[in-house]
Amino acid sequence: MTESPIAGSTRVWDLPVRLFHWLLVPLIAFSWWSGEEHYMDWHRLSGYAILALLVFRIWWGFAGSRTARFGQFVRSPGTVLAYAKTLGSRSAHAADGHNPLGGWSVIAMLAVLVTMVVAGLFAVDVDGFESGPLADYVTFDQGRAAAEFHETVFNAIVALVALHVAAIVFYLGFKRLNLVRPMITGRRARAAGEAAADVRWSPLLALVGLVLAGAIAWAVSTGFRF
Amino acid sequence: MKRMKPLALAAVGVLGLAALAGGATLATAASSASTAITARQANFKKMGGAMKTLKDELSGGADKAKMIAAAKTIAAAGRKQGDLFPAGTGPSSGAKTDALAAIWSDRATFDAGMKKMIAEADKLAAVAGSGDASAIRAQFTATGKSCGACHRQFRADN
Repeated sequence: MTESPIAGSTRVWDLPVRLFHWLLVPLIAFSWWSGEEHYMDWHRLSGYAILALLVFRIWWGFAGSRTARFGQFVRSPGTVLAYAKTLGSRSAHAADGHNPLGGWSVIAMLAVLVTMVVAGLFAVDVDGFESGPLADYVTFDQGRAAAEFHETVFNAIVALVALHVAAIVFYLGFKRLNLVRPMITGRRARAAGEAAADVRWSPLLALVGLVLAGAIAWAVSTGFRF
Repeated sequence: MKRMKPLALAAVGVLGLAALAGGATLATAASSASTAITARQANFKKMGGAMKTLKDELSGGADKAKMIAAAKTIAAAGRKQGDLFPAGTGPSSGAKTDALAAIWSDRATFDAGMKKMIAEADKLAAVAGSGDASAIRAQFTATGKSCGACHRQFRADN
């Protein structure tokens, strides 16, 4: 699917990537808040929604548009190092999608979020009253350990989000590159003489991912008791 | 060397003994605090484990014997808990505990909460063998809420 190109701009993020990103933001905030306030029914629902998003995003890493694919944005350590060395120079040049460093940030974010969700699925509260949908597959002590790990991993999420925001501020302030607007509109300005094609994506593959994500999140939420 | 007078010697001996006894009293207090803390934590873990058993059974096998036993465990362990919060076993004891000082400054509320939890657990034990899943679930929720109500008020790290 492509939309009519605006002159002088190029489409770098497909709609599913942007939806994934902007749905994740309030869901993480809501998960934190509902967990802190002990609204555990809401907390579980929010977790299932995040699980569905993660399943979709992993699927989309293979089935999505050019810039959504792991194969495109997960780069070798050498490439990452070479890119890191250019960070000090102000001459900004926009990457086609994730830059080599940002690609690994995406992997770290996904890994930490998957860890968070999985720990939550097995977590048991101190009263043995509230628990994740898979907690009956583990003992009380194991469930408590999962809950404590779930709390610890949250710190890693906060750290990665802080790094993410700091990087955006750095690119905006130092490199004069607005990374937020393209994540909203999908488009960024085309550099002079640049011929990067608009990203293309298949609505059918997106639908497959949607069904897959919904099915897995639902199955997990029932504790695999259908 | 000047010899110590017997009286002075005796005084030193008495003081020394008193110091020893004092130290021993302190040590006994500290160890009895940690004994109470360890005992009540073990009881709470038993109760938490029993709650989990009930929840697991409610979403799975619904084994009556297991549910009755679990509910009785909660009530029995709960009955011991009140005595395991003697004065001096709070955060100021220096021992590792999530018990808040509010337990001792608002003891009546704490004891009432404990009593309520025991009453709910007794009701749960009574209904656990009924085979009425929705009644068991409702009483399980009432029991769980009685745990949470106290924990929010009297337990740190929550």
